[in-house]
Amino acid sequence: MLLRGLTWLVLFQLIGTALNHLFLSILPGPIIGLVLLMIYLMTRGEVSEPISLAASSLLRYLPLLLVPPAVGVMVYADQIAEDFWAIVGSLVISLMVSLTFAGWLMQKLIDRQASRREPS
Amino acid sequence: MSLDWHGAWMSVIHHPLFGIAITLGAYQLVLAGYEKTRWVFLQPVLISMLVVIGVLVSCGLSYVEYRKSTEILSILLGPATVALAVPLYLNLRRIRQLFWPVLTTLVVGGVLATGLCVALGWMLGANHMILMTMAPKSVTSPIAMLVAEQIGGVAALAAVFVLITGVIGGIFGPGLLTLARVNSPEARGMALGLTAHAVGTSAALQESEECGAFAALAMSLMGVATALFLPLAVSLVA
Repeated sequence: MLLRGLTWLVLFQLIGTALNHLFLSILPGPIIGLVLLMIYLMTRGEVSEPISLAASSLLRYLPLLLVPPAVGVMVYADQIAEDFWAIVGSLVISLMVSLTFAGWLMQKLIDRQASRREPS
Repeated sequence: MSLDWHGAWMSVIHHPLFGIAITLGAYQLVLAGYEKTRWVFLQPVLISMLVVIGVLVSCGLSYVEYRKSTEILSILLGPATVALAVPLYLNLRRIRQLFWPVLTTLVVGGVLATGLCVALGWMLGANHMILMTMAPKSVTSPIAMLVAEQIGGVAALAAVFVLITGVIGGIFGPGLLTLARVNSPEARGMALGLTAHAVGTSAALQESEECGAFAALAMSLMGVATALFLPLAVSLVA
């Protein structure tokens, strides 16, 4: 079951890689694969058991999969140290402001939509 | 008979499985610590990364060697990205209902996240190369690396900025959103995925499936939008 779902996911990613090479060099293969799987699920109208099992198993370990690329920071320690405050300052402040703002905006828009629907 | 301790140690740390062993070990250690203390600074990716770097440095191993031995984990990142389609699909109805809020937040939030970062970096005196590398920091690393290269930044460094952004988002994001009274899982997920990509999405998945679905949605929309419009915007400004 798990293997069959995993095979589907790998297959979609590989189709995505091919499309990336042929037409869409700007979007990476996995993102094209995500869109393709989405279209496939929408046309089927349901998530089959193997795909659901493989997806939830993989997503559970998403943080673990992100550790090796993260360790790459050690290679760039010098360059980062040179512009340290500019980099950390702008990354941290812009993230905190935009994250909070995006959440606030979305919440407001959801609330407004909900209150508009209620009276009608 | 004297045993060759040094040789044995060398063959252990240079074994292809050593990288996997320290990654798995560090990750589980951090998870166990987090379960016990619920301390927000124990962000799994960040602390595992620090532990792994510590081990590599003290054993005198290079990143290149570590990277090669953990290739299988990196390869699985592709199918894991594809797998995000499943929570997205399961929440499709809710996403359709919130079509306009999602689109508005994407445009306004996305422009703010990118523009503010470049403006601040410029004010704080970062050079052009660093600015162009920081611009795509809110999107998932494969896209950010491609885009950074296109607009005159450094791909590998872009991955680092993406990561720093994601880790900070994963640590402080949920707390900040709670402070700003953002309670609905849709809005929390949207904000986390939009600004902190995969790390934000994995933090959102821990909150609830619905929250994770909106984070995955925001992450992919932001990725596509950045890939398409950032190079265009840069060529218009320059």
